[in-house]
Amino acid sequence: MAKSRTPVLKVSHLKKAYGPHVIVDDFSLEVWAGEAIALTGRNGAGKSTLLRCLIGAEMPDDGEIEVSGMPLRESDPQIRQAVATVIDDLDFFPDLSVVEHLDLLARAHGLPDPDEVVDAILGEVSLVPQSGQLPGTLSSGQRRRLALATAFVRPRQLLILDEPEQRLDVDGVAWLASRLASERDEGLAIVMASHEPSLVKAVATRTIRVGGE
Amino acid sequence: MANKKKRPPSGGQRQPNTTAQQQTVPIEAEEALVNATPGGVNNADSGADEVEVTVPAWRHALIAIEPEQPDERELKDLIKAWRRGRATKRIGQMLQDGYVTVFAVLMIVAILGNSVYRAQGAAAGCDSTTCTVGRTLLPWVAIGASFCLTLLASRIFGPVVASAAEGFWLMDAPIRRGRFLWSRLIGALAAVGFGMALVGALLAALTGYPWIQILEWAAAMGLGTAGLTAIAAAEQTYGRTWIMKTLQWIFGVVAFLALFTITGVAAGWFDLEGVSGTSPRIVLTVAAAGVIVLVVFTTVALRRLGYIHRARLVAGGNLVTGMQGAAFAMDIGLMRDILVERDMLTLGHVKPTYGRGSGPKALTWREVQRLIRFPKRALIVVVSIVVPYAVMALGLAAFAPLISALVLLVGFVPMLGTLRVATRTRGLARMFPFSNPQIRWALTTVPAIFAVIWALATLPAFAGLGTTEGFGSVPISRALAIAGVTAAGGLLAGIRWVTAKSADYSSPMLQTGFGAMPPSLLFNLFRGFDIAFLVTGPLLIGLSPTFSVIIAIICAFALSGRFGKDEMERAQAEAQKERDRMKSSGGSASPFSAAYSAGKKSTEKKVVTPPKRR
Repeated sequence: MAKSRTPVLKVSHLKKAYGPHVIVDDFSLEVWAGEAIALTGRNGAGKSTLLRCLIGAEMPDDGEIEVSGMPLRESDPQIRQAVATVIDDLDFFPDLSVVEHLDLLARAHGLPDPDEVVDAILGEVSLVPQSGQLPGTLSSGQRRRLALATAFVRPRQLLILDEPEQRLDVDGVAWLASRLASERDEGLAIVMASHEPSLVKAVATRTIRVGGE
Repeated sequence: MANKKKRPPSGGQRQPNTTAQQQTVPIEAEEALVNATPGGVNNADSGADEVEVTVPAWRHALIAIEPEQPDERELKDLIKAWRRGRATKRIGQMLQDGYVTVFAVLMIVAILGNSVYRAQGAAAGCDSTTCTVGRTLLPWVAIGASFCLTLLASRIFGPVVASAAEGFWLMDAPIRRGRFLWSRLIGALAAVGFGMALVGALLAALTGYPWIQILEWAAAMGLGTAGLTAIAAAEQTYGRTWIMKTLQWIFGVVAFLALFTITGVAAGWFDLEGVSGTSPRIVLTVAAAGVIVLVVFTTVALRRLGYIHRARLVAGGNLVTGMQGAAFAMDIGLMRDILVERDMLTLGHVKPTYGRGSGPKALTWREVQRLIRFPKRALIVVVSIVVPYAVMALGLAAFAPLISALVLLVGFVPMLGTLRVATRTRGLARMFPFSNPQIRWALTTVPAIFAVIWALATLPAFAGLGTTEGFGSVPISRALAIAGVTAAGGLLAGIRWVTAKSADYSSPMLQTGFGAMPPSLLFNLFRGFDIAFLVTGPLLIGLSPTFSVIIAIICAFALSGRFGKDEMERAQAEAQKERDRMKSSGGSASPFSAAYSAGKKSTEKKVVTPPKRR
């Protein structure tokens, strides 16, 4: 994979504090196409806060974040088009079925043949039997699969995931690892926080331990 | 209660040091423990010989004792005592502390009472056919609608409920549920009866009835709704809902037909000569029927309270708890979210449909498909077309835009459900490759089309159709402007309502008699209503519709999503960071700015530690 001249994600001297508690201090990172960064560290080390800053859900106190050379603004349509996220603030429409969520996203992103992509992803995340179910009736694992499917059903340059292995069964984690590895090989940039060593090992090209030892 | 705690040590003797012995039992001995019989003797013959196992005496006691029948009343008193013991304030003290708020509420009630009195005088003075028909039928509209809503609420909540804690701790115990729950049922019946009687009295007063008839309407409304709640309670004991659903539809149709008749007479579609108000006998008959239904079904429900399924009790209780939490935060939007989630959970499954279009159009097309799937969501907006006709028929022309906009606010909220979900958390909006204004535009297109149709359909009413002056008494251009502004006011109010954020507890607090409160907590209650008042206010005081049009445009711009609080805070923070960067790169700042910065820093570093808890 030939490197383009600008990194997909560039973070410079990022700082985030809640009151007197500094969560992230002077954090810099460059992520290029085809790279997968795994953030590891103990609970409360600041991984999720860092990821929330990277997608614009949290405003950093200092530092710069650029996505494909553009300054990060969460409401910018170009940023929204480039960055797919699966973090804990994802909500679902209570009256749309599983397949309709994916269909809506695929169409909103202007995919030329949305039905084919939706069917493929639905099969991949093993939610075909639940395709007509409303999100409120899904189990927590199925909701997680649906959340992951929303990230895979749309075009993306950067994928940001916060503990994507959560609530997935063993097969699910294995599927996720192979899927992310294949996405990485196809040129997707990935930043994920994870506590699952097998996932980190299979996907990450670099591992960053957040919050020290 | 205390004397009943003494339980006979049936089974064996109480063993000393049971806890210590328990801790020494290895895992291999667990099977032996299971096979142990009361008396502390281990009869297991294999594998456990090497281990001396002593089963705690209390286990035998729990297995072997003949449980006594607990006294439900004592249990309730015990729970009440615990709750009181944990309360830090009594209601009287709270009201005393918040006397300013109480005084303000009393003032508002007095102002509303005065308005009702004046409106009653105006309505009573009108003796045209349309006024008489309106006066005759409007209370029936209210009765039908309130009966329908009572059944709906009873079906959703219970009406007999128990909290999750009660469900877990008490319902498992051998208590007689009927004895535990009867006061809940009576409380629910009393609350519904008195509350709805008050509403009935208010509506009868508004339509110009004399005091005696106001009392009769209040009795009919109160006893009727209490009777229906009793039916709901009786049905809850059987675990059925179809009777309530059927009744709900019947009363809904009655309300609509009454409203339609008012509109028809006002519009001149048909005539009802000879109508001279509802006979008091009919109203009293409704009240008497309410009493009979109340007595019969309360008796049935009380006898069968013990049969209510625990899940059904707790589900209603959970819903009430969620609603209470939202109510304490004065977050009506959250209350609705909880109800919608519950409704969808009950539905569970839909027949998926293929989407249409791409880009923002996909969102709009999905809204059309949603409306086809759930046509009930447009029901209030469609039915509200008759509201201006009915209000004008009552001779309350000045109030027609405001009342219609408020009804439209209620009507548009279900149609704007997707916008609500897309704005309440940023995660969903972030998934779409559009800006926030684009998302809002795409999701409000369908309701906006309905608003345009509504304005056209109500144009004759605002042009004077059905009033004593007749159609054309208001120029068509002015009527069109009023109808358009009213529809826009209702839609904008709906958008404001659904996009309301929950109270922000991290913001600076207001000091009130009730303690510290975030300002947004107080304003949350008025969200939506403020826009309806702002847009239709100039019409209420007789100003030109142009003022309303200008206000509506400003409101639409403000609600377009360009000025989200979060966005503005981000922009402010960005600007601050830029200023800081310039300062640091520009070397030493002026003495004033240096002193300012130093002062600011010292303020930032100041940490106020909370007082230690006792």
